[in-house]
Amino acid sequence: MKKDRREFINTCFRFAAGASIVGVAGVLASKSAKGDFFWQLDPTKCTQCGRCATSCVVTPSAVKCIHVYDMCGYCDLCGGYFRPNVKNLSTGAENMLCPTGAIKRTYVEDPYFKYEIIDELCIGCGKCVKGCGAFGNGSLQLQISHDLCVNCNECAIARDCPSDAFKRVPLEEAYQFAGFKTNKKI
Amino acid sequence: MKNKLILWLSVVLLIVLIVFMAKDLFKTGNVSQENVYEYDLNSLRHVDESKISHKESKQIKIDAGEIHAIAVDQDDNIYVGTDKNVLVLNSEGKQINSLKLRQAASCITVMENGNILVGMSNRIDIRKPNGSLRNSFVVKGDRTYITSIAVQDTNVFIADAGQKIIHHYSIDGIKIKEIGEENQAEGIKGFVIPSPYFDLLIGRQGELWAVNPGRHAFEAYNFKGEQISSWNRTSMSVEGFSGCCNPSNIAILSDGSFVTAEKGLERVKIHLPSGDFKSVVAAPDLFEPGTVGIDLAVDSEDRILVLDPAKRLIRIFEAK
Repeated sequence: MKKDRREFINTCFRFAAGASIVGVAGVLASKSAKGDFFWQLDPTKCTQCGRCATSCVVTPSAVKCIHVYDMCGYCDLCGGYFRPNVKNLSTGAENMLCPTGAIKRTYVEDPYFKYEIIDELCIGCGKCVKGCGAFGNGSLQLQISHDLCVNCNECAIARDCPSDAFKRVPLEEAYQFAGFKTNKKI
Repeated sequence: MKNKLILWLSVVLLIVLIVFMAKDLFKTGNVSQENVYEYDLNSLRHVDESKISHKESKQIKIDAGEIHAIAVDQDDNIYVGTDKNVLVLNSEGKQINSLKLRQAASCITVMENGNILVGMSNRIDIRKPNGSLRNSFVVKGDRTYITSIAVQDTNVFIADAGQKIIHHYSIDGIKIKEIGEENQAEGIKGFVIPSPYFDLLIGRQGELWAVNPGRHAFEAYNFKGEQISSWNRTSMSVEGFSGCCNPSNIAILSDGSFVTAEKGLERVKIHLPSGDFKSVVAAPDLFEPGTVGIDLAVDSEDRILVLDPAKRLIRIFEAK
């Protein structure tokens, strides 16, 4: 059977339209199967620039300091807790590095001290993260708290982040911490 | 004519609109914004010139993937432990030998008779001066990680950062005892080692000195395992040690003063035998921020050899 040119072009268009519909449906189905995506802060890229505290649409920021206890040295002179050149290792406000007093220091046993983050006070400035990374094992790390994050389509912090440390990931990968071979889930 | 003007105006407006949209889409906003929460480490990194007692006289570039340890022998030959071998250099920095290793070296010590002890994870290899293997033994323990070796006659003291203990062995690999285990009755508090930096050396009277890095302390033991002396200096200022585990590495000068290397705030200092701060050898600005594992050695002329793993250099410092 011989086809004329008009019929051939029509057939091509029909195939192209069909393939497009199938393709779009496939992509949508695959995205749907993977579930929702959430913003994640990559601690290995984070430079503690302070913008997590100032750029987030949530007040205080949905980015919080999270303490990865497995990595903590439980130091007496904690670089994340005490401000530089501190004279007296006490819990006095004048000795604290955190601008909001969001870290609680508790004596465990000689010479160990436990440091806990008070979420309600933490503004995600990353000052303690920088201090811990500079002098300690880097157990204090910033991460997005997903019970507070409103998961904006365009994250305001991601837009302002100078080190491109934000990306969208499935929920099961959302809590990533540095210092582990695989992502730690908490 | 009027229509043409309207058309051109429309085109210009469209271009302006596209430029604004493109700027909004592709330009990252406010990148140079000042950090109101800046943690300024510069004040700590700065060292007053009057406190610096040494000047850098020489640098020796090491051709290796990773460099981990340094030692000096009686003739001032330099031994550098790398990830694959031990490089032997003369005092001028010229390579005179290379000993292949089964694992990366974590520490090196050279005995008075020229035997070379190399620590690798949980194993000690003892090489003769010509490089051939004399004997080898494994320090038992699931968490064993050897970070330093000190030798006096036939006594080998091994710092095990994993088990937080010093093992006392004979040169032939026979275990004699453990030193430094917590013993409140004897006044021994135990070693606090949050990260794998735990150094040893033999003092001028033959005593064993160990760093207790979590306490920012030096502790001296006799060979019976009794603690005979200790001092600690905890401070973020130059007079002491800060962070979770400092000093990370030590060496000793002929007058008994201690040379210390730190991580976090990378610097090399000298402390008097009493523990008091004496001077700075190398200020933090000489090192790349984040440099760890700065190992030390002192030669017969009290020149301080600093292993800079980030720059893969041996940096030699002499008194000004």
